[in-house]
Amino acid sequence: MKNKAFYIILLVCILFVSCKKDNQGPVEDGDVNAGGSTTVDVSFVNTFQQPAPNLTAAEIELHRQGDLAFGDIFVTAPSVVNSGLGPVFNQNSCESCHVSNGKSSFPLSTDNTKGLLIRLSMPGTGAHGGPLPVPGFGGQLQTKAVYGKTAEAQLNWQEIEEIKSFVDGEIYALRRFEFSYNNPYIPWPTGVLTSPRIAPAIIGLGLLEAISEADLLANADPDDKNADGISGRPNYGWNEQTQQKQIGRFGWKAAQPTLIQQSAAAYNNDMGITNPIFTKESSFGQLQYDKLNDDPEIDMNTLKVAAFYTQSLGVPKRRNWADAEVRQGKTLFTKIQCDACHKPKFVTGQHPEYPFLSNQTIYPYTDLLLHDMGEALADNRPDFEASGREWRTPPLWGIGLTKTVGSHTNFLHDGRARNLEEAILWHGGEAEKSKEAFRKMSKTERTALIRFIESL
Amino acid sequence: MIKKTPIFPLVFALLFTACKKDDIVPTTDYQEVLSDVSYNVILNTYQQLELKTASLAGSLSVLKNTPTASNLEAARQAWRDARDPWEQSEGFLFGPVDQKGIDPSIDSWPVNQTDLDAVLNSSNALTKAYIDGLDGTLKGFHTIEYLLFGENGNKLVGDFTARQFEYLDGCSQSLLGATQALNDSWREDKDNFISYIINAGKAGNTIYPSQKSALEELMYGMITIADEVGNGKINDPFSQQNVDLEESRFSKNSKKDFADNIRSIKNIYLGSYNNKSGKGMSTIIVGKKAQLDAKLISEIDAAIVAIENIQGSFTEAIFNAKQSVTDAQQKVRALQQTLESEALPIISNL
Repeated sequence: MKNKAFYIILLVCILFVSCKKDNQGPVEDGDVNAGGSTTVDVSFVNTFQQPAPNLTAAEIELHRQGDLAFGDIFVTAPSVVNSGLGPVFNQNSCESCHVSNGKSSFPLSTDNTKGLLIRLSMPGTGAHGGPLPVPGFGGQLQTKAVYGKTAEAQLNWQEIEEIKSFVDGEIYALRRFEFSYNNPYIPWPTGVLTSPRIAPAIIGLGLLEAISEADLLANADPDDKNADGISGRPNYGWNEQTQQKQIGRFGWKAAQPTLIQQSAAAYNNDMGITNPIFTKESSFGQLQYDKLNDDPEIDMNTLKVAAFYTQSLGVPKRRNWADAEVRQGKTLFTKIQCDACHKPKFVTGQHPEYPFLSNQTIYPYTDLLLHDMGEALADNRPDFEASGREWRTPPLWGIGLTKTVGSHTNFLHDGRARNLEEAILWHGGEAEKSKEAFRKMSKTERTALIRFIESL
Repeated sequence: MIKKTPIFPLVFALLFTACKKDDIVPTTDYQEVLSDVSYNVILNTYQQLELKTASLAGSLSVLKNTPTASNLEAARQAWRDARDPWEQSEGFLFGPVDQKGIDPSIDSWPVNQTDLDAVLNSSNALTKAYIDGLDGTLKGFHTIEYLLFGENGNKLVGDFTARQFEYLDGCSQSLLGATQALNDSWREDKDNFISYIINAGKAGNTIYPSQKSALEELMYGMITIADEVGNGKINDPFSQQNVDLEESRFSKNSKKDFADNIRSIKNIYLGSYNNKSGKGMSTIIVGKKAQLDAKLISEIDAAIVAIENIQGSFTEAIFNAKQSVTDAQQKVRALQQTLESEALPIISNL
């Protein structure tokens, strides 16, 4: 009996030890589940269209309604359905720019500029410290119009390519655009400031909204007191609902404080759809204003569900995170201080409306703060407290799926970078040191860093 | 007897069994399913769509030149025939159809009636090139439907203006361009999107890192269209009692649209469409859980039958035959539920 017991114990031990590999698995990076409980473990074209898996049944229904609103196509008034497009606009639905909810590519031709728009302003500041609208054009160039009206101007561009090299001698090319505004419907005013913007991916936005203001401010270092060459400061936009200044989080310059307002502004400026937050047409006070008594053209519920859609999409799980090259790249990412602005981790606070966004440990790789990115990237158009050289650090989660989802690899605010390497090489200003460190890396190291970013 | 049982062989036997997973990596290959679904269903559907829109364009050209009642009816039938493969493609709405911005040129809804009237009243030449440049809500299936069938579906050949015939002609040419572009984007000898699915999991595949990921895309595609039919296309006009929300109202083709959407699920599931058959998702499910396979096939068929059994046109039924609409909606929702809660986990755990 003793013997038998011994053998049984031995058997159990051997079984345990020999199968340890199965139970333990490789060491897991902390940031694999980038969206906390909202993380989706899939990798295919429609990845960015998955709802967060931790929604309640009621929230799934709200998400579904939001999905429909996001796809709704607007037409010229009067119409029994989806009335009120324009009179001047950029696109007729949310989906036309946020294709498959991913980042837009730079347009293939000037015939169809979907995914790209131009913000406009005059020097100086307008209401509440925001951009000063351009007389006759407003704050955005609408490149389409309903029948009988005229596009504010036609957008055109020239590509300029510059050849440069890494420190190891390998050549690379950077392209940029010079935009022109042809056939304006009224004379183009002198001194107009312009800022090209590409439609971003819309995953994980609810989580970014749920980060506490204190946590955002904790990373701000406006006077660079720690002398690392990186300042970082919050933008403060205007909350139209509370009629107060509020820390900005959304848009390329973080001028929008909330997702509902971001959505309302997009309805208004991009589609010409008036709504409970922006009740006047984008063309109000201009020659082409429709003078119809049909505002607001969508109700609060539509606006809310559309915003909810952007709040409740799942964030993709990282891929290939255990790969040795990816791990090396992750080390390099920290070593050259990419993480000084692309802050890996936050824990979200309490979301006032949606508990599924609260207390989530997330890895967005952004600080949501403004940074001087240098002359080459500058748009020279201030936006609330953001200067003409400052941009908000964009989140990097999901960036490795850009090609999968959108069939392109265009990055940065105007889509000028044709791949991640070019995007890094465009960094300047506060990121100059990191960029130079990248330029000095060996090819192997550069590739590893890119592989890491692709795993996000 | 027990004492004499040699225990070491037992230990090794157990070890071997317990660690089998470790030692023998499962190498099930789903290439055949992915290949059959891609060629027999997806590409085949897009080929049909291009062929049938070419016929539609031919019919509308004939109608323009010879506007007779019989040519009008032939054009309407050609529209229905072209609509069929499009609706049967909605179970796999991923890839070029969105990425290349093709969908809005094919299936934008609603029709921009205000602008359409203005364009028809203008003196602009209604060429394919001109219509190509217009917004999606002024072209594609629904604009053609609106002009061809009329607001109440009872338009007579004498009710058409010459400009409308011209517009229909140009518009169908433009639609043909879009369906050609879509088919080309999948074709092996053109843009070859099909290779991503067939070669899922192979080195250098920038879209599908594994065969599982491609199979999941197909599963989600089926779930999405079941959701859209049950909770959107049927539910919105029905729950709000509003015919203006019905997608193919002018042609009274909505029931056919819905049934074809479910057929799209069936095609992917069985790997078969239009005289081509092979292996579909069913092959995988049946190997894991034969009962579920039978349940899915029966639920797919039940949903199609229930949709076809909606009494009269869908427009009438949402007011006058509510039970038949509810029944169809329930069958579609049951199918969605089974796909989502029973079939998807099997694929996700491959």
